[in-house]
Amino acid sequence: MSEIDYTKYRLKPESEIRETFKEVSSIFIISCKKCYKEFEIEAEPEYDKLLELLGEERSKISGCAEFDFLCNSYLTKKKLTDLDISNVETIGVISCGIGVQFVAQELEGKRVLTLCDSVPQSGNATSVTGYHGISLGLEKCAGCGQCYLNITGGICPVIDCAKGLLNGPCGGAKNGKCEVDPQVDCAWEKIYLRLKGQGRNLPGEVKLRDYGKFKVDERNRISLFTQTRRMQNFYGGLYPLERKEETENLSIEAFPEPEHVVVFLSQHTGSPAHSLVKPGSMVKMGQKIGESSGLISASIHASISGKVLSIEERIHPSLLKPSLAIIIENDGLNSVDSSVEPVSDLENVSKESLLELLKEKGIVGLGGAMFPTHVKLCPPKPVDTLVVNGCECEPYLSADNRVMIEHPDSILKGIKIVQKILEAKNIIIGVEENKSGAIGKLKGLDSSPDVTVASLKTKYPQGAEKMLVKKLLDRQVPEGGLPLDVGVVVLNVSTILAIYQAIYEGLPLIQRVITISGEGLKRKGNFLIRIGTPIEDIIDLCFDGNREKFLEEYQIKMGGPMMGILQEDLNSAVIKGTTGFTILRKYPVEVSEERECIKCGRCVEVCPMELYPLYYAYYGKKEMWEEALKYNVENCIECGCCDYICSSKINLLSFIKKAKRYAYNKAKG
Amino acid sequence: MTRLKEALESKKFVVTGEIGPPKGVNVESCLEEAEKYLKGKVAAVNVTDIQSAVMRVGSLAISKKLLEMDIEPVFQMTCRDRNRLALESDLLSAYVLGIRNVLALTGDYVTLGDHPQSKPVFDLDSVSLLKAMKDLESGKDLAGNELDGAPSFFKGAVVTPCADPLEPQVMKMEKKIFAGAEFFQTQAVYDIGLFEKFIKEVSHLKVPILAGIVLLKSAGMAKFMNENVSGVFVPDELIKEMSVPKEDRRKKSVEIAARLIKQMKDMCQGVHLMPLGWDKEVPNVIESAGL
Amino acid sequence: MLITKLKDREEIISFFDLRPFVFKCFGCKEVYFPEEEVDRLIEDNRNKITGIARVDYLCREEFSKVYIEKVSLEIERSGGVVVFSCGVGVQVIAKLLEEKKVLAGCDTYYLNGFQGLSVQDFNCQQCGECYLNYTGGICPITACSKGLLNGPCGGAKNGKCEVNPEMDCGWELIYKRLKKIGKEEILKKKKVLVRDYRRIITEKPVVKE
Repeated sequence: MSEIDYTKYRLKPESEIRETFKEVSSIFIISCKKCYKEFEIEAEPEYDKLLELLGEERSKISGCAEFDFLCNSYLTKKKLTDLDISNVETIGVISCGIGVQFVAQELEGKRVLTLCDSVPQSGNATSVTGYHGISLGLEKCAGCGQCYLNITGGICPVIDCAKGLLNGPCGGAKNGKCEVDPQVDCAWEKIYLRLKGQGRNLPGEVKLRDYGKFKVDERNRISLFTQTRRMQNFYGGLYPLERKEETENLSIEAFPEPEHVVVFLSQHTGSPAHSLVKPGSMVKMGQKIGESSGLISASIHASISGKVLSIEERIHPSLLKPSLAIIIENDGLNSVDSSVEPVSDLENVSKESLLELLKEKGIVGLGGAMFPTHVKLCPPKPVDTLVVNGCECEPYLSADNRVMIEHPDSILKGIKIVQKILEAKNIIIGVEENKSGAIGKLKGLDSSPDVTVASLKTKYPQGAEKMLVKKLLDRQVPEGGLPLDVGVVVLNVSTILAIYQAIYEGLPLIQRVITISGEGLKRKGNFLIRIGTPIEDIIDLCFDGNREKFLEEYQIKMGGPMMGILQEDLNSAVIKGTTGFTILRKYPVEVSEERECIKCGRCVEVCPMELYPLYYAYYGKKEMWEEALKYNVENCIECGCCDYICSSKINLLSFIKKAKRYAYNKAKG
Repeated sequence: MTRLKEALESKKFVVTGEIGPPKGVNVESCLEEAEKYLKGKVAAVNVTDIQSAVMRVGSLAISKKLLEMDIEPVFQMTCRDRNRLALESDLLSAYVLGIRNVLALTGDYVTLGDHPQSKPVFDLDSVSLLKAMKDLESGKDLAGNELDGAPSFFKGAVVTPCADPLEPQVMKMEKKIFAGAEFFQTQAVYDIGLFEKFIKEVSHLKVPILAGIVLLKSAGMAKFMNENVSGVFVPDELIKEMSVPKEDRRKKSVEIAARLIKQMKDMCQGVHLMPLGWDKEVPNVIESAGL
Repeated sequence: MLITKLKDREEIISFFDLRPFVFKCFGCKEVYFPEEEVDRLIEDNRNKITGIARVDYLCREEFSKVYIEKVSLEIERSGGVVVFSCGVGVQVIAKLLEEKKVLAGCDTYYLNGFQGLSVQDFNCQQCGECYLNYTGGICPITACSKGLLNGPCGGAKNGKCEVNPEMDCGWELIYKRLKKIGKEEILKKKKVLVRDYRRIITEKPVVKE
């Protein structure tokens, strides 16, 4: 397979550069590290070539800065402000025309000179340039807006014919080669042969090009639309197809009680709990069966009543490695443990007792991270704002949406409890605008004036804490920091519901609402499900197809398609952090075989944390983790945007996770 | 030497006229009007080149026709629809046909005319077209190839004197002179103050300037031009003046044109009359202006 | 930057008479692709196709090869292949399926900025002879409708282009920018710029085997 190096610039001719340098006394050089080429870390050669060519004159260079993707206006703008160039009058730019124009605009008061010519990628009589797709293939498209490929056997006459002829060969070809460039095949001969091979004729109709077809204003309108969408709410991110319509209007229903449950002892951030029961013990629903002694810990409870069958290792759905779980056989009685009692005299309960209760009831963050709530609500720094996260930006999922629609009053009561604990002045519920039903319900609540409901434009990952805080409060969570650092605590709506249930109903976290959606299902919906329900039960109930071939033909992710964790062992089970299950057909065309990075820059474009994910893959493959850390990998929120967009199908997230683990181990010593 | 050049060199106040070829091959009435109203009254007659990008008979053919009628043409050339091969070739053809005055323009964009689907060319622009003429005169074409016999032209260009900002126009005018422009015809002038300012700005450029006069046809047309035509500013007083009953408009228009010419007479070397169909009034304007 | 728009509905519907196989590329994903329109169209004609492959980055030939292999049976049974993608994707499939009638379901347009990379405010036509040094870093070829190199055409009104009044006159922008950096004398330089189109026609991209 041949690939083109689509490097878009080269140094101007020596004479021209010399002339340019004659006029300046001092110059600062900004150079772009190119795109659409084999991704190599080594410095691009142009700068050295420039130095060589300048000889003595090189002393005029006062400094130099390298940029990745100079045309990435948002990131470059930030970096330019960091550069110490206030005293510089002249800037020399080594980049393509777009980079130069952007720098000239940003540094309008300075003289910005280009030291390069852009390299034409193709061209002929009718199309000044040919545009390749995202890959580095040989085919190009002129973007003429009137595709002729249907009559030419898929060979473009506009690009491939030197004259861009639409109605047949010019007659100038010799031995099948173009008269303009004898190294190039005559496009019309290729077209003729291709069509002949298919038993088709050369097109008879007279074709005339319409050069006015695509209006400049229309192009600008689309450009603006795309740019605005990209910068909407925050830099980066994506607009994957939401597919919420599959489940958003389905009311929460109870998932059939499982015959047995698999309750993992590790269901929170921090050290795992240890079991309080033994095989053979009889347990009641809501009974505490696991406890952790660590500072960051949460209790574990039986989600059904019955007999403990065993305590054994199962594949943990989030850690994806063997982890201890208590297996309980359902006796079908649902006998409730005596500890399940609402708090009496709520008015007079102290903040401390409430926190203790949340710990006792095993409340953790239900958005996925499972951070113990009582720890989060006991911040070491002053907090003035509570943000309730109702974004649910993952495609397919609508459990939070249903919780907001069906339990708005409970949510409000839950918020009041948190407010009492945190003593936060402001409370904002952030919901994406695609959940208008939920927004309506929440706005309709007779709440105190300090609770506001904010409707946010839908964009993935708006639900990430840092994005949410930035958008709602315009506060920037520092790199490597938490919302806490800017006086904010963020809680998921489902967590708020769990808090409500713990306090008002005395119910420990033994059930939650999850969405089951995707493809090939006979049942989809939002289910109130017991923690510990085996994934197998879900497949049995919902999957519509040959059960034997499920893992062969389908994939199941715990969570949504973006951040969801691929499950390969169906003996695993629902945990507190399970937001749902997305089952997707393994498309016949799912290409898992990754390719070399072509430095297309898309991962940088979509990273909401403004990172450069391509470097993680580059250094990750070489296991040079120390280098990867230089690109702030610890700031990654693992939203999966880079992974999703990668044009080489590189599993960027796996490299990121490894790099993070390296960083974690290093910090631990 | 062309009559136009001669007239300008003799320091007389020069008047040029303009005709637009028809869309179709019936050129008689167009030529008749030139014969009746322009011949002998103006030093030369511009022939527009696919004016407003509306396809019609070519400037070259009508220029040749005028020559045959002993009317000296100014062959207008735009860069919109010919690449440098065609432009250079047409210049040689024009010379062969006896045409000497050439006015270089960039040309209106294709989408403004009646063939919005067509490919805009703009291989050269007005400046490089002037350079092409100069190169041809020196016996070489733009690519540096020798010619078998070199032409010679009286090379004109245009400028918008009431543009805002004016400076880029002046800069480009200088560039045009550098590239070979020997005379200028301007966009329509209605505001004497602005024109005077322009003349001062370009006083260092020793080239003859013919101020453009477009006959106002109504107050509405004046307002339309103010809103839509670049570098054209019709002062409110003139718009008010044009607000007369329909039957008096021609008279009023002639009166205004003549007054403008009188006011500009000492500022520039002549005027270029663009009657836009009111060719009949050209002799009246000349007479009223006392030329 | 390439974007696509669906061809006329009637034209596309006529493709279904072939009983085709359909490739739907949602490649550049968040850019501009009528993905849902295509979905609806295919849904309406579901029984007229032998199969569909929803893919990304169809322009990447190695990927396309794999896609094709996996659906080779359905393609074999089809009377043709309809591709909803930019012109590049269609050409790749046409090349890989030389024996098949391959049809484009979309027309492709280009947007400002370079191919593949994000949509930009700026445009570069890869003319091969950068003029930005004369023009204060604003490209006269793309910022001026006529691509004039030697100054404004004089057709601008209130700073707006005569071709498209929504667009600023490129040369006025250039003039203002140069004035800001005190370099407006560049415009007076006695140099007539003429483009050398050979640069774009003879330039050959570097092909790596």
